[in-house]
Amino acid sequence: MAGPRYIADPQALARNVALDGLTAIFHAPSGLTHLLAPPAPQILAALAGRPGSAEEVLARIAESFELEAANPADAIAARLAELEAVGLVAKT
Amino acid sequence: MRHRLDLRIGPVSYRIGSAWPEPLAELRRLYRNYPAAEAVCDFTVRLEPERPWRRYLRPSVAIRGDYTLPDAAPLPLTLGLLAAEMGMNLQMALGQKRYLLLHAGSVERDGRALILTGHSGAGKSTLAALLGERGWRFMGDEFALLDPATGLLHAFPRAISLKNAALALFDGADPARLGPVLRGTPKGTIRHLQPPAEAIARMDQPARPALILFPRFGRDLDPATRPVGAAEVFVRLTQASTNYVALGARGFDSLTSLVTTVPARAIDYRSSEEAVALVESAWAELR
Amino acid sequence: MTAPTSETSKEIGGPATRRTVLALGAAAASTVVTIRPALAQTAGSVLNCEIPIPSPQAGGNYIAADGSLVPAGTAGAYPPAPRPITGEEAKALLNGSATPSGLDAEASQAYANYIRRLQAGMSGFTCYASLQMPR
Repeated sequence: MAGPRYIADPQALARNVALDGLTAIFHAPSGLTHLLAPPAPQILAALAGRPGSAEEVLARIAESFELEAANPADAIAARLAELEAVGLVAKT
Repeated sequence: MRHRLDLRIGPVSYRIGSAWPEPLAELRRLYRNYPAAEAVCDFTVRLEPERPWRRYLRPSVAIRGDYTLPDAAPLPLTLGLLAAEMGMNLQMALGQKRYLLLHAGSVERDGRALILTGHSGAGKSTLAALLGERGWRFMGDEFALLDPATGLLHAFPRAISLKNAALALFDGADPARLGPVLRGTPKGTIRHLQPPAEAIARMDQPARPALILFPRFGRDLDPATRPVGAAEVFVRLTQASTNYVALGARGFDSLTSLVTTVPARAIDYRSSEEAVALVESAWAELR
Repeated sequence: MTAPTSETSKEIGGPATRRTVLALGAAAASTVVTIRPALAQTAGSVLNCEIPIPSPQAGGNYIAADGSLVPAGTAGAYPPAPRPITGEEAKALLNGSATPSGLDAEASQAYANYIRRLQAGMSGFTCYASLQMPR
């Protein structure tokens, strides 16, 4: 089961700054600033210029991190929905 | 407009017009030692009657200008000076695009700036004024101007707005520096204090931000100093800025740079003495 | 991000690796906060503001109990407030049902709901927005 695929535009996310554990991002197309807590920045990195389904995102992040979640599929889906709602990722 | 006064405070100049002479007479006295304004002013403030007949009948001052808030309530003429000051604040809050505006007090020592920020009533204005009387160079009590290009803080030393209990702290000040006592304002009793002569003389000298403080005054508080993380400082400062969003990427770069390079502390205190002591020790800890 | 460490060796006889743990968060958690303009708050703090109920453009409309505008005389709806509500009164009203002086208590609840529904462009919106506490 693949589900929808998402993508993040790396140009639009170029301005990002780490602020003690959180990441501040200036989203150029909208002019909005967002403050992201993990794993949102890691999900964006996994989708920067590379389309991916929830499953694929999970796999990409698992390459670098030990994942912790009661239900990883639900968690990733929720994070992707949040990021889509603010326009940081889009369905492709 | 019948009456006019031009003022320059730091990098910002105003043209203030008024249907009545009294507010401008008080304003002229409060700003009498300031340098001349530029020929072309950045902002216009107009003190106008709410309705034509309110120029004479229960005179009522509507605050208008380049920028205006439609649901602002007019003030009685007896508070005309306050209306003028509010009008100047409003032009900055809505129209300033060159500098990132922080709703903060600021003072300077040795070319480095201390930024005092927090909610209205937390004590930042009073503390900035107090420090200005204790050897620090006063830069402003309402707005701090951050230059996105350089990261420097620019002074905006308007007349200091002392409110309610804070008035008593400055009873010993030279009467020539004090404006009239304004009672029954939306924020209680207010009195304006002219900044120290040095603050006015040096208002064109910017300073490098070195410390951000979140002061909190309360009779029941235990004196304390706590570090504040960069993410929290960032969010609080975006809420304390009226033009962060309007400045877009410049605002983002400027503010993230500030919070990642300048340490921040929250200080709680019960009295002026404790406040000044906490400020001095936080400052001393800086490299 | 791997570094060998004997403390966290999980595999006997295999290479000891330590990787950063990344919690994915509960489904209901929130990991994105958008910075909203604070203009209204700070500008509101520098000015005295009022909220007319309803806005002057609303004609003679009445205020229903849920704060929406209805034709004048609608059963169960309240007439416009006799005077604008100040920022301070609105704050008290929205927090704890303190009725502004001179106004009817029941009507004030309808007015409170009207205030909550205010949108940008309607008279009194900036004043209302300035009453919101920062998140």
